[in-house]
Parts: sequence; structure tokens; C-alpha cells
Amino acid sequence: MAEKIKIDVLTLDSVQCAACGYMMESIAALPDDIQDMIEYTEWSIKTKEGIGKFMELKGKVLPTICIEGDCVFESIIPQYEKLIDEMAKRAPTDSMRESLGSLRDQGFDFSKVQQNLENAGAGQKTKAG
Amino acid sequence: MAKQKFIDAVRGKRTETAPWVPYAGVHCAFLINEPADKYLQDPELLAKGLVETAKKYQADGIPLVFDLSIEADSLGCELKWWPDNVPSVTTHPCTEKTPAEVGLTMPTRESGRWPILFEAARIARPQLDELDCALIGGICGPLTLASHLAGVRIFTDVYKHKDFAQNICAFAGEVGAVAAGFYAEMGCDVIAIIDPVASQIKSETFKEFVTPHVEKTIQVINDAGCTSDFFICGDATKVLKDVCELNTHGFAIDEQLNMNFVRDLAREHGKGFGGNLKLTLALSLGLLSPREDAIVSLAAGGHVGYTFAPG
Repeated sequence: MAEKIKIDVLTLDSVQCAACGYMMESIAALPDDIQDMIEYTEWSIKTKEGIGKFMELKGKVLPTICIEGDCVFESIIPQYEKLIDEMAKRAPTDSMRESLGSLRDQGFDFSKVQQNLENAGAGQKTKAG
Repeated sequence: MAKQKFIDAVRGKRTETAPWVPYAGVHCAFLINEPADKYLQDPELLAKGLVETAKKYQADGIPLVFDLSIEADSLGCELKWWPDNVPSVTTHPCTEKTPAEVGLTMPTRESGRWPILFEAARIARPQLDELDCALIGGICGPLTLASHLAGVRIFTDVYKHKDFAQNICAFAGEVGAVAAGFYAEMGCDVIAIIDPVASQIKSETFKEFVTPHVEKTIQVINDAGCTSDFFICGDATKVLKDVCELNTHGFAIDEQLNMNFVRDLAREHGKGFGGNLKLTLALSLGLLSPREDAIVSLAAGGHVGYTFAPG
């Protein structure tokens, strides 16, 4: 499998918390070509795994989008272009960086948001325990 | 239980002790052994859950519901229902067009779940009065409703397509004013504008896209003789001064803010303030002692304008 950009979204719970939900949507509404380049997971602080990830990534606030281990968007829901730029900075290859740059003007695509959120397990692992 | 004490605190006044308000939401459903999705669509269950929760926790105030999909639902957004959580909004009608272009109109008392809320309030209100517990109405704030309508693009549009973003937020603000009228009719004592995503923007964006679109809603609440509040979630540090400058009587915050900072800013602006109990770290996860957390909050909050509540 081709290398992908790893995105971790630290949340309270993307169902209960609207800010967390729209942080997740900012990733899930990226166009198909970008979806193929990324791998993302929601980490709810309500779970032990989520707390572990919060500590590992040195999270400070919720929600936060981390790209390749860096806390990049902390309590700021990103603009489309800024999100692309931050991913491009951390892309593993030059070709991926170029591809991301070429998609900078495309904008969000809402046609597969629910499917993408489901694939990412959003809202599925948010039970305290 | 002391309704007036809570109202006084939201209005920034001194109270003998801090009033206590559990923002119970779908926890009320849990307490009466009902799934959240069924609970939120049944006025009798809503009223039952509300009253039983108010009794159990000896609340001075309690929200009718804590569900930010009510307005979106009444505008035709589709929802995904959960048995243990509030519903999530799954479709956004304004991702390409403005509300007028897609034919959205203001909700009426008959739209969406508004009839359920009117009926639940009718049943619960006299029982809460007997308990001396205030009823809180919670309106979805303009930026959160704009997000429901246009999706996450709204956070790009506030920079790149300002006219479009203003159009969506203005419509959301009008809906908020209508909702405020509904909650006043239901007999809510305190009506809160709840705008969680307003903490996820810069101060300049807040002033441009939130402040002007809550003015009418606040006026409706205040003119109805109700007490107005503004709830914000997350790390709202960067916009808290803007929140204080709104014309509401008070505001409420979550567990991520420093209570001393919040208290000092609230007092400087003559506002009531509440929240900050560690909902996640203490009450949900037990990583902190809820008792010690409560003591710290009560000490920091003091007796002027402070409501003891989860964040």
C-alpha cells in the first residue's frame, strides 16, 4: 500500500460535541483524490485509548487535528487551503506534495462525508471506559 | 432548590451560595432507563426525565433539552439518531447555495420537533415550578447552525467568501430569534444561545460572524423578561472577551478554561458565569476527584454571579 499521511483527531466525542464533529468533517469532506492520500482516526478522550493518544501527541486542548504527529490545528477548525498546506508540508514524498498542491483550489466535497466518517470510525469509539 | 438564585447568578448578582445546574441533556434519558433517541422524540418521556433529574440532583435550573440539532431538524437537515447521545446532523442543505436559494424558511411551532418541545415544557413546567427549579431553553447559536446548514466549508467561507458566510450566519441568527420566541412562550426562565463552534475561530471572526447575528436573539430574550445566557465550549480563551461584550446577562464555559481567568473577566464586565466542572476528567473518567474538583470550582467561582455547573 502506498504511504499515507497520518491524521489523528483528538476529540471529546464527534457526536456530542459540534466543534469535534466539524473538525472530523473537515477531514472527511476532503475530495476523493486527497482521501486516497490520508489515513485518519478519531481519538475520543472518553476512552483509555484516546487518553493515551492525547498524552502521546502532547495534546493541550480539544478538539485538535494532528498531522504526522504534530498538533497543528488546536481549537481552530481549519480553512480548506490551510489544511492542504499543512498536509503538504508533512507529505512523505515530493509527488504527494505536488498532488496536494494541485488540489488546493478544489474545495470540500460533501458527497461522501458520512461514508468517510463511518470508515474512520467517527463516533463509534466514544464510550467512556 | 432555588430558581431565583440561579437567575440572580446569571444576571451577575451576589447569591448566598452558588446555584447548581446540571446540564443533564440525554443523561435524563439514562436516568429513566430510556434510549436517547426515543426520549428526545417523546414529550412525555422528556418531561418525566427532566423532572426526575431535577429532583435527583436537586437542581436550581435544568435545560429542557441540550440538543443542537433542533433548529437544523426543523429546517430539513437529516439526522443520525443514537441510543446514547444527541442526534448528529448528517446533511447540509446550503453547501452550494444560500438558504433563500434552496427555499429555506423560518421554522414554525409546527416544524420539526418544536411541537414535542412545546408539549414537554407544558407538562414539565408546573412540576419544575413546584420544585422551584428554573427551566432553561437552549438555542443553537448562529455559527453552529451555519455549520449545520453549510457544513465545514463555513470556516473557509468566513475568510474567502464572506458574503456567502454572512448570508448563512444572518439566516441562522434569524432562526435563533424565532427559537428564542418559542422558548419564551414555553415559559423558560433562562434562555441560552449555545454556540460551541464559536470557540474554534479567531476573535476577529467572532466579532464579524457571531456578534451581529446574536443581537436580535438576545433582544427577543431580554424583551420577553427572560434571562439571557451564552454557552460556549472548548478552549474559548481567544474569544472570551468578545463573549463578555455580548448583550447577554451571563455566559457559561466548559472544563478547558481557567476558572480564575473566567471569573475575573466576567466580573470586569458585570456578567454571570458558570460551568467548568471537569465533565470529562472527573465526572466521566474519574481521573480527578469530582469532590476536589467541585471544591476548587466553588472556591474560584465565589458568590458573585457564579453558577456551579459542569463544563
